[in-house]
Amino acid sequence: MIIDFHAHPGYAHDLAGLREELRPLLREAAYHGVQWVCLNAIADWSPSPSPRAVRKGNDAVLALMSDYPDRVIGLCYVNPLHGEAARKELDRCVVNGGMAGIKLWIACKANHPSVDPIAARAAELNVPILQHCFYVPGLAWQTTPADVADLAARHPKMKMVIAHLTACMERGLADIQPYPNVCVDFAGGEPEATWVERAVKWLGAERVVFGTDTPIRTYGSSLGRVYQAKLTARQRALILSGNARRLLGRRFPG
Amino acid sequence: MIHDAAAYVGDWPFRDIGGTVGGLTGIMAANGMTHALVSSLQGFFYSDPTPANEKLLRDLRGRENLFAAPILNPYLVNFPEQIARLAANPQVRAIRLAPGFHGYEMAFARPLIEVAAAHRLPVIVQTKFQDRRHHPSVAHMPEVPLADALDLVASLPKARFVLSAAHFVETMREAERIRSLRNVWLDMSHLDGLECIKRAAKAVGARRLLLSTCWPFFYAKAALLKVAEAQLPARENAAVLGGNAGRVFGI
Repeated sequence: MIIDFHAHPGYAHDLAGLREELRPLLREAAYHGVQWVCLNAIADWSPSPSPRAVRKGNDAVLALMSDYPDRVIGLCYVNPLHGEAARKELDRCVVNGGMAGIKLWIACKANHPSVDPIAARAAELNVPILQHCFYVPGLAWQTTPADVADLAARHPKMKMVIAHLTACMERGLADIQPYPNVCVDFAGGEPEATWVERAVKWLGAERVVFGTDTPIRTYGSSLGRVYQAKLTARQRALILSGNARRLLGRRFPG
Repeated sequence: MIHDAAAYVGDWPFRDIGGTVGGLTGIMAANGMTHALVSSLQGFFYSDPTPANEKLLRDLRGRENLFAAPILNPYLVNFPEQIARLAANPQVRAIRLAPGFHGYEMAFARPLIEVAAAHRLPVIVQTKFQDRRHHPSVAHMPEVPLADALDLVASLPKARFVLSAAHFVETMREAERIRSLRNVWLDMSHLDGLECIKRAAKAVGARRLLLSTCWPFFYAKAALLKVAEAQLPARENAAVLGGNAGRVFGI
């Protein structure tokens, strides 16, 4: 079994469009034996979307979960700057809607005080947070692995996956290495060689999670990294599904 | 027959990626690739790539399944002699230009490309190499706009061009023009995104796409899986995997 921990339903701003986009996505996933796709819809893709846009995006994911109950796992996108409304949206989607995790993007940095209530609630619910993360010059306003390390120190029971290994680099791996509650995915970057092995070396295979960022990347581009990386069969199985299953816990629908 | 139209050997100065000839042949054997066109990674970084090319040719000598695409810098005005010498070597099947690394506009390479064309050597234009967001702080390498490269392609119909490492979005934007030009092919190593190969094949024609791994900088398996997942008709699939490269590079 393969679980894609980091995917988006598409770029459309309405459910009908996302349904259209999801079909080829699931077809390509199935071609590669990817059974489960964790979808998060980042509202309208604006950096700090409105509560209405957030709700609309999450509603679309809930509908897609219903369309494909044996393929789609939902992650709830929230904008932490919405305060109590973000907490309520999280509960609406996770507690009542059956989503299995939370997605944070670029509305604020991960160590911003507004993220603390989200992290605390995620820990209470025992659901993972997928956090966009970069070390990219000129994008310092986006969350860095050092920001995540700050948050992880304050919330040791929170489970977090930072996205975009290739853009986090060794510096990012060093930042999160002391925090066993933080994993990394390699979604989104180009298939630059040796990064999967480097992540395993820094963090152990138990903390490296397969994700694609599709439709931004193809499944072939993402899986090629795992299949060619110098890994044991056990390490490969952990990365492709074991770690995601552990993180999703009892909310994993499979 | 599966031909890799863009592989490299040598060192990448910013991390150890293990670009040895033995590593390349191992990856080829493990993935059923029969031939590869190889350039030297050092050639990107040397202002005079000659020593890197000489080492490449020494390393490839006697290996019948590996061909060379030496990197040239048009600022070195002895390029006519260099090209003549390289063209005499049967293992050399193309030359590679790296405007972003060596610091020139596409049009500046025109005289060099004319000489290469006279020697019937295809010219590979490295439009980018690494995602610009990940460039090391000491080395930002400007990208070559696909439109600039295509201007040159259009103005030199007797030259044969391979545009290496183009973005998917940029490729789709220029697809109609690429399709209309008969002397240009695409290295697909950096095409990415859902259904990228299927969509690129539809937009520019499968006959223009060359399997290209960008090994050892990229995991080679990624390129092979991208082609596989496109599930192209058998004839198109064979063309992308090897037939097109066979024709362009005489493999």
